Amino acid sequence: MSGEGSSEPGNESGPGEEPGRLLSELAVLRRRARSARHAYWLPLLLFGLLSWASIPFYVMASPSAPRASGTGIVALTSGPALPVLGGAPVRGSFFLGYYWLIALVGGYLLCALWYRRHARLAGLQTPARGYVITGVVLTVLALLLPPLSQFPALHWLSAAWPGDLVVRGMFPFLIIAAGLWVLAWAERSRALAVTALVFTGAALLANLYDVENVLYRLGWNPAGYNWQVTIPNVLLPTVVLLVAGGAAGIAAATARRRRAAGTPAGSA
Amino acid sequence: MSAEQPAGGHPTNGISDLVHQRHRLGILTITAEAQAADFGYLQEALGLTAGNLSRHLTVLEEAGLVQVEKGYEGRRARTRVRITRQGRTALGGELAALTELVRRHEALS
Repeated sequence: MSGEGSSEPGNESGPGEEPGRLLSELAVLRRRARSARHAYWLPLLLFGLLSWASIPFYVMASPSAPRASGTGIVALTSGPALPVLGGAPVRGSFFLGYYWLIALVGGYLLCALWYRRHARLAGLQTPARGYVITGVVLTVLALLLPPLSQFPALHWLSAAWPGDLVVRGMFPFLIIAAGLWVLAWAERSRALAVTALVFTGAALLANLYDVENVLYRLGWNPAGYNWQVTIPNVLLPTVVLLVAGGAAGIAAATARRRRAAGTPAGSA
Repeated sequence: MSAEQPAGGHPTNGISDLVHQRHRLGILTITAEAQAADFGYLQEALGLTAGNLSRHLTVLEEAGLVQVEKGYEGRRARTRVRITRQGRTALGGELAALTELVRRHEALS
């Protein structure tokens, strides 16, 4: 399609133009445009790093004493702040809930700025607003649902509580997972859809089951302190985000180099 | 000829003279892939001069197939092009007609 800068709008190519060649040229344009606007490596790496940075808060949220045998979670000793974001029965989860509130809202706002900057540099805009709105709205709902459901008139809201999903303090990973599905659609990326699928699986496992049990069955028993039960739950989704983000970043850099060299780039 | 009804008789009936022009088809293809495309990106991707691209955009805009937004980002002028719903329909019809033509050609050969 390039190299015809001299053609005038009146110089119409009629229906006789080879349709197959035209379709191939359009497919190349579509692939290049899609490749040029893909920018999801940063949200993946950003939330991977924010998840990694949450580990000290999970350690703080667990008692330093050895855990009682047969129980994965210690008993609730005081009502935690932000129970959906920070986990219901984990002692001292006050800071964890506030950490995730700041990390999620801040992370989504940074992603909004990133997509704005990327659109300016690439010349193509990705409809990332839905991604940011989904993440922020879910975070705000997770924040407001427990206090609102305390009011008698709004008691019916307690039915919307995610139940077992808040026990381990891993609910923020499900908020990140929901955002990834929206982003995969906005980016029209099969690779990101696969990442969202794997990450959702990891997030559900971390929320509903202790990953430590999986490790135990694989032959490693990280028994001892309660944080050693919690940390594998954090690490699994974190590793998925960091590995996928790193791979997507390398793919984006390679595609950028190819575009600069004039070689057609494939879609990811 | 309407680009919205490609399947009426022979597939060439679905080809619109307005949309079929290869550069205009290129503009619609790229803008359908993004929320908006910069004038500079379209110019580079299609290998057109600024004047030619402007004329193609005027034709598409007058037909209601794209929206051209002129604005500033800081001190720099920036022109963004968005495809309209009508433009997506026209592009879909054109691609369907072209695909059908290829299919018929392959069936004959």
